[in-house]
Amino acid sequence: MKKRIVSIVLAALFVITAAVIAGSGRSTSDIPAPPAIGAIIDDFSLPDVNGQEHALKSLKGKNGTVLIFIAVQCPVSNAYNDRMEKLAQDYQAKGVAVVGINANSTEDAAAVKAHAAEKHLTFTILKDSGNKVADKLGASVTPEAYFLDSNNKLVYRGRIDNSRNPDTIESNDLRQAIDSALAGKPVEKPEAKAFGCGIKRVS
Amino acid sequence: MRISKLTLITGLVVLLISLTVPAQRTVRTVRQAKSTTAPAMPTNVEPIDTAGLKDLISKPKEKPLLVNFWATYCDPCRDEFPDLVKVDSDFRPKSLDFVTVSLDDVSEIKTTVPQFLAQMKATMPAYLLNVADPEPAINAVDPKWQGDLPATFLYNSKGEIVFKHFGRVNTAELREAIERVVKN
Repeated sequence: MKKRIVSIVLAALFVITAAVIAGSGRSTSDIPAPPAIGAIIDDFSLPDVNGQEHALKSLKGKNGTVLIFIAVQCPVSNAYNDRMEKLAQDYQAKGVAVVGINANSTEDAAAVKAHAAEKHLTFTILKDSGNKVADKLGASVTPEAYFLDSNNKLVYRGRIDNSRNPDTIESNDLRQAIDSALAGKPVEKPEAKAFGCGIKRVS
Repeated sequence: MRISKLTLITGLVVLLISLTVPAQRTVRTVRQAKSTTAPAMPTNVEPIDTAGLKDLISKPKEKPLLVNFWATYCDPCRDEFPDLVKVDSDFRPKSLDFVTVSLDDVSEIKTTVPQFLAQMKATMPAYLLNVADPEPAINAVDPKWQGDLPATFLYNSKGEIVFKHFGRVNTAELREAIERVVKN
């Protein structure tokens, strides 16, 4: 009996320890690969910063949807706050919705809500506490953008533009991709590497 | 019997808790201990552009070269830095070159970047990627690299990548890889 208890406890200890070690050592190589350009993104549902659930189908724009992984504390993501808000304003009239997603396990819904108010971000921000959508889309950093057309087909994935500093923007990759898609033209550069802070996933 | 079972389980729980204490605490303790020894030396950080970076990694080398891409805003980069400083002090005498390349904004080249390096007592040559568009530089290093930080690359003296890691590096694996190239 005693032996049996010892072996059960030891087995549980081994499993938990292995999980802890694996969790703490999670590297970016473990992030699932993003869907291919042209793939249809299945509907998903996440709560907003007030806890209200939203499905992609209820948030999507008539002509497409931009999903941007954002952060509260990342200086790179914060350098893009004004540009993201302007993007949302500019494209609202064109039937394209902008939706922010915070998937950092270190930033709770209250922090995301306070940050959005402070930085005047008016677009919907969802809280991806379990990294469900970050994993589904293979998102690795903040900010990282995805543009889905009206059929939720992935048209563009990557950075918003080339430069954290708004004075040295040379390539407005996300806007160019949206504009091409809205004009019914092929997107010249459907992927551009995103740069920023790693998404702090749950371990 | 009942007491001994209880003792056993309590002991195992204590052991489990001790195993799950975040590694960062150990790192902090090391930092604090080091910071009391001597005043930090100022570290000079040189700007580098895409051409300079290509030249750095592809030119023929007398020694193997380790390159760590990092940023002050990147928590895992900061966490792994004490290990990298130790790697530098252990392997530089055994013929390893090691440079760091910061992806911080150029406005931080004289402030937060050298301050952090000084705090870490990092003496390896330090660069900051000063480009308007980071993508060509990222692709020049490795087209498979998504630009996520930290990223660590080890080149042999022919300029070939013999080890790479995206995310916080496993120091034991890195050390093994370095041992292999410095011996050859």
